[in-house]
Amino acid sequence: MKQPLVEIKDLKTYFYVKAGTVKAVDGLTLTVETGTKLGLVGESGSGKTTMALAIMRMIRPPGTIQGQILVDGVDLLKLSEEEMRKARLSKIAMIPQGAMNSLNPVARIKDQVLDGMLDHGEKFARGEEEKRVAYLLDMVGLQAKVAKMFPHELSGGMKQRVTAAIALSMHPKVLIADEPTSALDVVIQREVMEMITRLVNDLNLSMILIGHDMGLMAQTVDRLAVMYAGHIMEIGDVRDMFADPLHPYTKALINSLPVLGNRGVFHGIPGVPPSVINPPPGCPFASRCPDVIAGICESQTAPLRELRPGRWVACHLYDGEK
Amino acid sequence: MSGFLSYVRRNPALGVGIGMLLFLLLFTTLGRLFVNPLHAYPLSVMPTQPPSAQYPFGTDVQGRDLLAVMVVGTGLTLQIGAIAGAIGLSVGIVLGFVAGYSGGVLDTVITSVIDVYMSIPGFLILVLIASIFSKVDLGVTEMGLIVSIVSWAGPARAIRAQVLSMRERPFVMMSKLSGMGTFEIIMKELVPNLAPYLVMSLSQTVYGGLQASLGLEALGIGARREPTMGMTLYYVQYYSALMLGMWWWVIEPIIVIVLVLTSLVMTSFGLDEIANPRRRKTV
Repeated sequence: MKQPLVEIKDLKTYFYVKAGTVKAVDGLTLTVETGTKLGLVGESGSGKTTMALAIMRMIRPPGTIQGQILVDGVDLLKLSEEEMRKARLSKIAMIPQGAMNSLNPVARIKDQVLDGMLDHGEKFARGEEEKRVAYLLDMVGLQAKVAKMFPHELSGGMKQRVTAAIALSMHPKVLIADEPTSALDVVIQREVMEMITRLVNDLNLSMILIGHDMGLMAQTVDRLAVMYAGHIMEIGDVRDMFADPLHPYTKALINSLPVLGNRGVFHGIPGVPPSVINPPPGCPFASRCPDVIAGICESQTAPLRELRPGRWVACHLYDGEK
Repeated sequence: MSGFLSYVRRNPALGVGIGMLLFLLLFTTLGRLFVNPLHAYPLSVMPTQPPSAQYPFGTDVQGRDLLAVMVVGTGLTLQIGAIAGAIGLSVGIVLGFVAGYSGGVLDTVITSVIDVYMSIPGFLILVLIASIFSKVDLGVTEMGLIVSIVSWAGPARAIRAQVLSMRERPFVMMSKLSGMGTFEIIMKELVPNLAPYLVMSLSQTVYGGLQASLGLEALGIGARREPTMGMTLYYVQYYSALMLGMWWWVIEPIIVIVLVLTSLVMTSFGLDEIANPRRRKTV
C-alpha cells in the first residue's frame, strides 16, 4: 500500500445556527494515497462540497471545523491563517463548482492565471510571464492567444480548462475537483475529464473528484467513497464497489443507474435524505434502508470498519464479519 | 477616441456631461488669459455697471468685474467640490470596503455609525462646524475640507452594499481558493469590477459637496474673500441686488451653478449606465 498523502481523521464541520446544529460533515475519516484518484459521490446536500471547503479551510462562521486534515504530514487545521493561504494553490488546490462563473469578468485570462502565483511570491523575469501562461494554457489544451482574452470570449469548456490551469499553476500535491464538468455537455465533459485525468497522472497528483455521476466516476477514479448525510458509507476500489457493493445505500445507488438497452422501470431510492439539523441517532440511512435491522440501526451509528484490505463499510449488516 | 465618440452617441448623457465639464474647465483656465483675475476682487473696477462693451458681464456694487468673478469663481467652486468629493469618496471607499468585505462585528459597527450619522441633518453639522471657524479666515481648501465632513457617509454605505454582493461572486471564491490575500482580492478582483461604479460615486459625491458648500456660502459661512459662486450669491442677497435692479448680478452666478451641477448630474447619469448594465440601452 502506498503512503497516504492526505489523511482526514474524524473531520466534523458543524454550523451552529438558530435552528440547531447543522452537522454537514460528521466524523469523516478518509485517506488518499499519492497518485490516486478518489471519487466522492453522494446525493445533493450530503456534505461533499462542505467537506471539500473544509479541507481548504474555507468554512466561514458560524461554521466550525474539527478533526485532523493531514496533507503530507502537516495538519492544515493547525496552520496559521497566513500559512494556510500559502498552502492553498501551492500544496492543495481546488477547482470550484460552477467554473463558468469562477473567472473575473473584467480581467484578462493571463492576469487571472498569474495572480495566484504572484501572490505566492513567485517572481518572473521579463517576458517569463507570457511563457509561463502559454505553457499552462497549452497544458490544459488551450491556445496561447487565449491569454489575451476575457472570460466572456470563451466557451464553457474553455473556461473550465482555464480554472484547471489556475488550479495546477503551482503544481499542488492534491487537487480537489468539485463537479468540474457539471454544466458541460457530455462530449466536452469527456474531453475536460480526460484532460484533468491526464494531468493528474502526468504530474503524479492525488485527486479528490466530487460528483454524483456514477458513470463518470466509474471511468475516472481509482477509489470510490460514498457519502450520505455527512457520513462516509463505504469506501473501496471502484471496480470492487461496482462489482460487489456492500452497503445497502451503495447497492441502491448502483441499481438506480439506467442501463443501456434496458427499457424497464428505473429503480430509484424511495424517501428523502434525513435533515442534518440535529440528526437523530443511529444510521442516517436507516429510514430508507431495505435491509434495516430493527432495534439496532435506528439507535446505533455503525462505525466505518475495514472488512477487507482497502474496503471499508459502515453498516450493521456486517457486524458479524471481521 | 473614435471609439469613445461612437459610445457617446449611444450614451448622450455622458457626452453632454463631460462636454459641459470640459467647457467649464476651459472657461476657468483659458478665461484667465482674457480677463484680469485680480478684477474678481472688490474695488478693482467701476461699481454697479450694467453689461457693456467694457464689462460684458457687468460689475457689482463692490467693484468686481463679474466676468472675472465668473472665470475665477467657477474654478474655485469646482475646487471645493473636487476636494470634498475626493476626500469623501476616499473615506467612503475605505470604510465601505472594510465593512462590506470583512463583515461581522466590524461591519455592524461601521454600518451603525453611518446610519446614525446619516440621520443627523448634514447641513446642521456643517453650519455648526463652519461657524466655529467663522473667526478664522476660511479659504477654498478649508471649505472643501469642511464640506467633506458630511460627504463620506453616502458613498461609504453605497460602496459597502456593492462590495457585499460582489464578495459572494464565484470568482472571489476562486481567488480565495487560489490563496490570494485579502488586499490582493480587493485590489485585483473587486476594484476593477466596481470601477465604473466608483467613478459614478465620485461625480455624485462632488455634486453633493458642491451643493453643501453653496448652501453654506449663501448663508455667508465660507471663504468670504474668495469670489466663489456661493459667496457671490451671498453678496447678491446681502446687497439686495434684485431691488437695485442689478439683474445681471443675480443671473450670472445662477447660470454658472446650474451649468456646473447639470454637468455633474449628466456625467453621473451617463456613468450609471456603464455601472449598471440593466439600465443600458440595447445597441
